[in-house]
Amino acid sequence: MPPMPPMGPKGPGGPGGPPGRHSRINGEKPKNGKKTLAKLLRYIGRSKYIFFALMAVMLIITGLNLAAPSIQQRAIDFITITEKRLNVDLGGLGRSLVLLGVVYAASSVFTYLQGILSAKLSQYTVKTMRRDLFDNLVHLPIKYFDTHRHGDLMSRMTNDVENISTTISQSIGSLISGVLTVLGSFAIMMFYSPLLTLISLSTIFLTIIVSSVMTKFMRKYFMQQQILLGRINGHVEEMVTGYRTVVAYSKEQDAIDEFSSMNDELRRCGIRAQICGGVMGPLMNCISNFGFVLIAAFGGWFTMRGMITVGTIQAFILYSKQFSRPINEIANQYANIQTAIAGAERIFEVMEAEHETDNGTSCFTAKNVKGDICFKDVVFGYEEGKTVLKGLDLDVKRGQKIAIVGATGSGKTTVVNLLTRFYDIDSGSITVDGVPITDIRMAELRRSIAIVLQDTVLFSGTIEDNIRYGKENASTEEVKAAAAHANADEFIERLPEGYAAQLSEGGSNLSQGQRQLLAIARAVLADPPILILDEATSSVDTRTEMHIQSAMVALMKNRTSLIIAHRLSTIRDADKIVVIDGGRVAEMGSHDELIALGGCYYKLYQTQFAGNKT
Amino acid sequence: MKLSKYLKPYMLFALLTPLTMVGEVMVDLLQPKLMSKIVDEGVLGQDMGLIIHTGLLMMLLIIIGGACGVGSSALGGVASQGFARDLRSDVFKKVMGLSFEQTDKFTTGSLVTRLTTDITALQQMVDFMLRMLVRDGILFIGGIIMMLTLNVKFGIVIAVAMPIEILIVVLVMRKANPLYSIVAARLDSVNTVMQENVSGARVVKAYVREERESQRFGKANEDLMQANLRVQKMVAVLQPALMMIMNISVIAVILIGGFQVQAREMKVGEVMAAITYLTQVLNGIMMLSMMFQTMSRASASAKRICEVLDSEPVIQDGAGANCTEKGTVSFRGVSFYYPSASGRPVLSDISFDVKQGENVAILGATGSGKSTLVSMIPRFYDPVQGDIFVDGVNVKDMKLSDLRSKVGIVLQKSELFSGSAADNIRWGKKDASLEEVKAAAEIAQADEFVSTLPDGYDGIIAEKGASLSGGQKQRLSISRAVLKKPEILIFDDSTSALDLGTEAKLHKGLREGLKGTTVITIAQRIASVKNCDRIFVLDHGRLAGSGTHEQLLQSCGVYKDICNSQMRNAGGEE
Repeated sequence: MPPMPPMGPKGPGGPGGPPGRHSRINGEKPKNGKKTLAKLLRYIGRSKYIFFALMAVMLIITGLNLAAPSIQQRAIDFITITEKRLNVDLGGLGRSLVLLGVVYAASSVFTYLQGILSAKLSQYTVKTMRRDLFDNLVHLPIKYFDTHRHGDLMSRMTNDVENISTTISQSIGSLISGVLTVLGSFAIMMFYSPLLTLISLSTIFLTIIVSSVMTKFMRKYFMQQQILLGRINGHVEEMVTGYRTVVAYSKEQDAIDEFSSMNDELRRCGIRAQICGGVMGPLMNCISNFGFVLIAAFGGWFTMRGMITVGTIQAFILYSKQFSRPINEIANQYANIQTAIAGAERIFEVMEAEHETDNGTSCFTAKNVKGDICFKDVVFGYEEGKTVLKGLDLDVKRGQKIAIVGATGSGKTTVVNLLTRFYDIDSGSITVDGVPITDIRMAELRRSIAIVLQDTVLFSGTIEDNIRYGKENASTEEVKAAAAHANADEFIERLPEGYAAQLSEGGSNLSQGQRQLLAIARAVLADPPILILDEATSSVDTRTEMHIQSAMVALMKNRTSLIIAHRLSTIRDADKIVVIDGGRVAEMGSHDELIALGGCYYKLYQTQFAGNKT
Repeated sequence: MKLSKYLKPYMLFALLTPLTMVGEVMVDLLQPKLMSKIVDEGVLGQDMGLIIHTGLLMMLLIIIGGACGVGSSALGGVASQGFARDLRSDVFKKVMGLSFEQTDKFTTGSLVTRLTTDITALQQMVDFMLRMLVRDGILFIGGIIMMLTLNVKFGIVIAVAMPIEILIVVLVMRKANPLYSIVAARLDSVNTVMQENVSGARVVKAYVREERESQRFGKANEDLMQANLRVQKMVAVLQPALMMIMNISVIAVILIGGFQVQAREMKVGEVMAAITYLTQVLNGIMMLSMMFQTMSRASASAKRICEVLDSEPVIQDGAGANCTEKGTVSFRGVSFYYPSASGRPVLSDISFDVKQGENVAILGATGSGKSTLVSMIPRFYDPVQGDIFVDGVNVKDMKLSDLRSKVGIVLQKSELFSGSAADNIRWGKKDASLEEVKAAAEIAQADEFVSTLPDGYDGIIAEKGASLSGGQKQRLSISRAVLKKPEILIFDDSTSALDLGTEAKLHKGLREGLKGTTVITIAQRIASVKNCDRIFVLDHGRLAGSGTHEQLLQSCGVYKDICNSQMRNAGGEE
């Protein structure tokens, strides 16, 4: 029983998805198997015609496979020379061989059909799951993304879905045909000779016991091996990502030593796992041959007493093999299915996570927004018991430029998160043009606001696509005009392919400043009444910032703007500077007013902007 | 193949594996023969003694064969796992000796894959080759021989069936393989869309693009499904086709056997044995095709591993030399450019001297080469032209470990490792006591927040410090460098997330706690550097000026520009 190398859809040496970094351990148990299975079956049920066709085909195949040995036995009987018949019955032989050919041909055709049907079933099911997963994902609140590890979410999409796909296309099929074969073989064996059946049953029990014990051992070692591999993965990843620090502190040898000890352990564990796996085959072989000898011995004895024919023995041997093989299979598939269900559980977890609440009913539309914003007594905390904003009041008139400053962790970004409803407030109220934002339809609210964030998010696609993110149906001219407005046209036109240049991996081929300019162009194109700049220029050096600055000034014109920054150059021109301290607005006024006041802002200004005068 | 040397230490095991395998295969091959004897002579000859006798013999053989099988998997395990361990360990050592350019070129993800998935693939291939190649080879050839010894006429069946089978396997594989790479590419695009939406969720929502993203994903998803279906439909042909040929051959064997039995040249049991051998031979072909797949996958892996093993470390360790000075750094006509960047120099002809205990700042726009400049001091990179001296010795002549113990560098990106806060700080000095760790953290202004962590210094840092703010991470990495007590301490823009107040406290702490240490600081903010002893201004890879803040304001245009861009806003502060 040689172990089959995996022939997954990744193909030979294919790059495929992420490596085994998040690989699941086989044999893992789902928490709530029955419920998840029911949900999974509902997904499979969406292609119920395919499913029933597949069942029918499998039933036919099992029937054919069960019939074949008995026809083969008849053929053998025809060429058996006994005292009664001294010649081979060529006519009978011909007839049974033709029948055998038909059965085999039919079996091949149906097997092909089974392959196609189960491929379709698994692909359709998995496609629907992937789609539903994604459709749910985009509607999850930001909190979900902030509190879940991205790698883990990705792994659900790739590994777990992949697992389900292979399980549907392979495990379910072999499980069902396994069960059918076992039942069918048993029935036929009983029909031929109940006595011999009982005898071969004894070895079957042996097979079941031995294989379940062995599988348990094997799984233990293979799981250990997986865990070790995972640890090695983690170590390598950490050491390579932090390689500069490793080198700077001359820690290479330590890293190597730690790696070596894991590596040694992996080897030991690997050998153990492999021996365990290696015992399985011969042991099963032994048992099945023992069964064969038993059948031959008793069968021979029965033949001598004229109870059965030689062909019956031949058929019996074939059937008893068909009987014991699926039993191993069923045990294996059961484990696979468990793993897949555990994966499905994780997928459904994402699917069933609560969406953003969007019960806005107001006739508020982005087009008619004037841009008055009002925060009244807003209380909010990311975690229960830890309030970040403790009664924030803020009144912004249309067209004003407001700079929000404060120490790290004072809640500047929180204001943005609340206004855009990335998070919802605990108490108090936020209104835009006098309408509470919870009454506004989410899409309209967000369409009336453009945000430029510190970390520019770019998507795979061309430069043009990325700018057009601000306004889906913008013409190329509009895109170019927006880029020109943001001072981005200069560098874009210098690129060999200009606006059609493909961005690689989130725009890693662009400099930070260039990415920032693209984000600004995007906001220009969106042209909303409210603009938020959240540390939009902090990772750009001051001279580049001056360059962007003019783009920003143009962008802020005639808009309500909220600017969060820790650089004075960015906030100096604001109409009003709001200082947040201790979750409340501590001071408010123009730069000169606040300096004259000599309070919070003055101190902040002294330490953050002016220099180290403390 | 180059990697075969890793199998050498396990040669004995590697050779014994196929040998024991032969034992198992021999038994496998004898089995049908004995079976036919039981049927022909025992059952038909109504010889109960013979049945039991031969049966017992068969059981004995099977036990021996099984023992051989277990033995071969154990031996093969020792050989292949040992091979994998040695290879893995060598590759990791190699990785730990690569230059940054090289690790950047390989990328982290790909290095991890090479060290794990690729090596595992090779290990499986070695194991597979040692056991399966031999096993299938013998079963295959042995099966043919056994069939021919039963009756030469069966040779016709094999001669017809085998080429057809091989043809089918080759045809399907050739068609399917390119389809597999299409699937892989489509899977990548599905993952990309997903990844972008997970990490860019804020922007997606801010621009209300959920529906469009769903559409985009829907398309990628549909494409992936189509590609998958095409491959699977193609591969679905394989099994039924091979089954068909095998079954037709079985029919042919029975037919030929029938005539032979009629002619009294064969017995029924022999026909039955022939069927078993035939199945063995034709199954062997299927196994061989699978083996080719494994091998092609493994050879791709081997290529990727060799790429790592073959990369020569760019930085060669120096022989070691006696230092004549302490805490000094000198650049002599240093130029640097990345080989990839079409020869445009990152730094050109830089010369300067830094004295012991001096506090020096380097200022310049992004891309002016500041980081590259300081990275050359601990030899993260070597200059293309010119020389760098630390403590009066050319850095190339110094032992790397000596050099790097003299030079402490706090990187732009704070890299934290799994473990507690204290563990991370202890990177600076392995056997430091908790007091030392605390003292270092105090200088680095990290003590105040570390002591508020739930478990203080023993508090476990979450994955790459995800639970810490940028400033906190920076302060931890500064503590690490401070604990090291280097002669030369470099801050590579590593105080950017600290407010100026904290930064000033840090500098004060350094002056008091690490007296006599030469400090080189890269910074963006004029305010954070203006109190330094000397400031170097870099502009497009050249040293545009050096001196104190006041001197530079007089003499250096670039410095004045930078100053203006920051200070014009400071309104009347001067």
